[in-house]
Amino acid sequence: MYNEIKALRDIPEEDFLIGGSPTCSGCPAELGLKMALKALGKNTIVVNSSGCMSLLCNYPYTPLKVSWIHCAIENAAATATGIARAMRLLKREATVICYAGDGSTYDIGIGSLSGMAARGDPIIYICYNNQAYANTGNQWDTATPFLANTKTTPPGKQSKGNLIPHKNMIKIMGAHGIYAASASPAYPLDYMNKLRKAQAMNIPAYIEYLSPCVPGWGYDQEKGIKVAKLATESCFWPLYEIENNKITINYKPTQMRSVKEFIQLQDRFRHLSDYDINVIQGLVTTDWKELLEAETCKKT
Amino acid sequence: MKDFLTGNEAVAWAARLSRARYIPNYPISPQTEIIETLAQWHADGQLEADFCPMDSEHSVMSAAIGASATGVRVFTASSSQGIELMHEMLYIAAGLRLPIVMVNCSRGLSAPITLLCDHNDYLGMRDTGWIMVNTQNNQEALDSTIMAFKISENKDVLLPSVVNLDGYVLSYTMEPTIVPEQGVVDRFLPSYRPTHAFFDPKQPMVQGIAVLDGVNYTHFRKQVHKAQLNAKRVMEKVCSDWRKTTGRHYGMIEKYEMEDAEMAIVTQGSVSTTAKAEVQEMRRKGMKIGLLRLRVMRPLPKEEIRNALKDMKGVAVVDKNLAPGLGGIAHSEIRDCLYDIEEQPIMSSFVMGLGGKPEEMKQFAQIIDMLKKDMIDKRGRVRFV
Repeated sequence: MYNEIKALRDIPEEDFLIGGSPTCSGCPAELGLKMALKALGKNTIVVNSSGCMSLLCNYPYTPLKVSWIHCAIENAAATATGIARAMRLLKREATVICYAGDGSTYDIGIGSLSGMAARGDPIIYICYNNQAYANTGNQWDTATPFLANTKTTPPGKQSKGNLIPHKNMIKIMGAHGIYAASASPAYPLDYMNKLRKAQAMNIPAYIEYLSPCVPGWGYDQEKGIKVAKLATESCFWPLYEIENNKITINYKPTQMRSVKEFIQLQDRFRHLSDYDINVIQGLVTTDWKELLEAETCKKT
Repeated sequence: MKDFLTGNEAVAWAARLSRARYIPNYPISPQTEIIETLAQWHADGQLEADFCPMDSEHSVMSAAIGASATGVRVFTASSSQGIELMHEMLYIAAGLRLPIVMVNCSRGLSAPITLLCDHNDYLGMRDTGWIMVNTQNNQEALDSTIMAFKISENKDVLLPSVVNLDGYVLSYTMEPTIVPEQGVVDRFLPSYRPTHAFFDPKQPMVQGIAVLDGVNYTHFRKQVHKAQLNAKRVMEKVCSDWRKTTGRHYGMIEKYEMEDAEMAIVTQGSVSTTAKAEVQEMRRKGMKIGLLRLRVMRPLPKEEIRNALKDMKGVAVVDKNLAPGLGGIAHSEIRDCLYDIEEQPIMSSFVMGLGGKPEEMKQFAQIIDMLKKDMIDKRGRVRFV
């Protein structure tokens, strides 16, 4: 049981991430933290891993009205463990969250994150997934979609971009027996309620927030929410949650949009032919069907 | 209480008596017995601490940083490859000014992989900003660990400390060791109540802020430098308090038979006791030889080293470590301390005991013979012994 936000007008007005931060204009990752703090409240400690959001707090300024620590790239989960344990020793109440990018989550920090989930500390780990190492200028990581153009998987005469299919971190984290869910800036109530649910459950939680990246994905800066919405409407980024190893899909588009609609807004897929896009469409459709089946089976 | 304890058990006692409240840990030989001892006490309800097994040494130091930044006293222990894996976090612990105390049971670094002792793991921490103490017996390891909390938590220091003991040679060797009473340690070491770094939602705080300009970055780095310099004075005071409390005294350096010495052997760690025995032998033969033990590596006690060695004709710096292409690490550090005196002694580097290579008394006599040759040639050399 948790205090559900039922309508947009019920979203708390108070902001704990205020203006004046140095992120790119239209950055959905900053919005993701802003919404998280609105949902979770002022008694929140944010543990950040090195990445775009590390630049929010830039000496001598901070746009945050809550506590924050930046430690290194691969260890937000371990640092959060130390904080959560110490807060308990000091009998101080707080919600400890990690706000970490996909590179630090999927790749360099997966050991630390797995350890956190296994230890059972009530930490909410939010991965803002922009599907590449965005802060260093958009290089490949294991969250990068098939055939996407990144600086380290450029298309060329002998390549069509990234040839390594992305991992499914939500299922990996769900398999730890914790609460795991996907989220999107285009569905703020879904995202914020998943955070509130995790907060109330008081167990480790992994919430992966799709974070379109203006320079990395190459779309017009005002279109971040539209891009995110199309990702979900095309089932490229379905909204679902895993609880006690059971999958629930939170949103099923009545009319599934084509992946092409999502892809054609972005420069990172500009090099692809219709044939290539059809290959991606096939992968997305297969994944979506598997997800629907998994929901029916009530087992991951 | 006087007991036969391994070095590992001795420092476990130090962590318990110091009332460390958070103990993130990960096993690695030859340190594992420290955390096993603490684990059993925790299981038996004798340890008032959160004993927290982690997924790697990197995560151990990350969790240590998280807990210390929140405001509790943190202890951990590691060794060798573990120190290397957490190396990134060592700088961050110092830069965030967190008084974590760690014990390192020295072990040689891979490759080739070994289990036995040398000091390259410990000395790899030289530039991290940590206070560094190297001990020669189990009693000193226990005492130094308790003192380390008091030094690190001093408001003029606020830097983490590492206490080194030699893997196996001390860590798994039993020695008669005095374990102080809890009340004695409580009076010596007050509880940790930080005002500079803590998390309390009533007073939000940003830690680990990005500093993207060189002027401010230099300012923060210089603060760490100043804290290291302050640590010297604080360390002297804490050691003096410990002597008043227990009668046992430790200096930044230890001088042995140095009064009228003309040649000196410089050592670190447990091999010092072997070397001292040979110094006695050589003294008996009428040779004017003394020994300087470098107990504290950071802050480097430059004045003390210079004053102790400035009148020597020859100095043999024995290093249980190797800077490939250079020689012993302490050799170049100690030579630096003597740069501004007029008649510098001949100073040779002896790389000894790497990866647990046996160190025998007679080798120190051979070292002195080689040093004498270098003195005749007026030229220091680097040798493996």
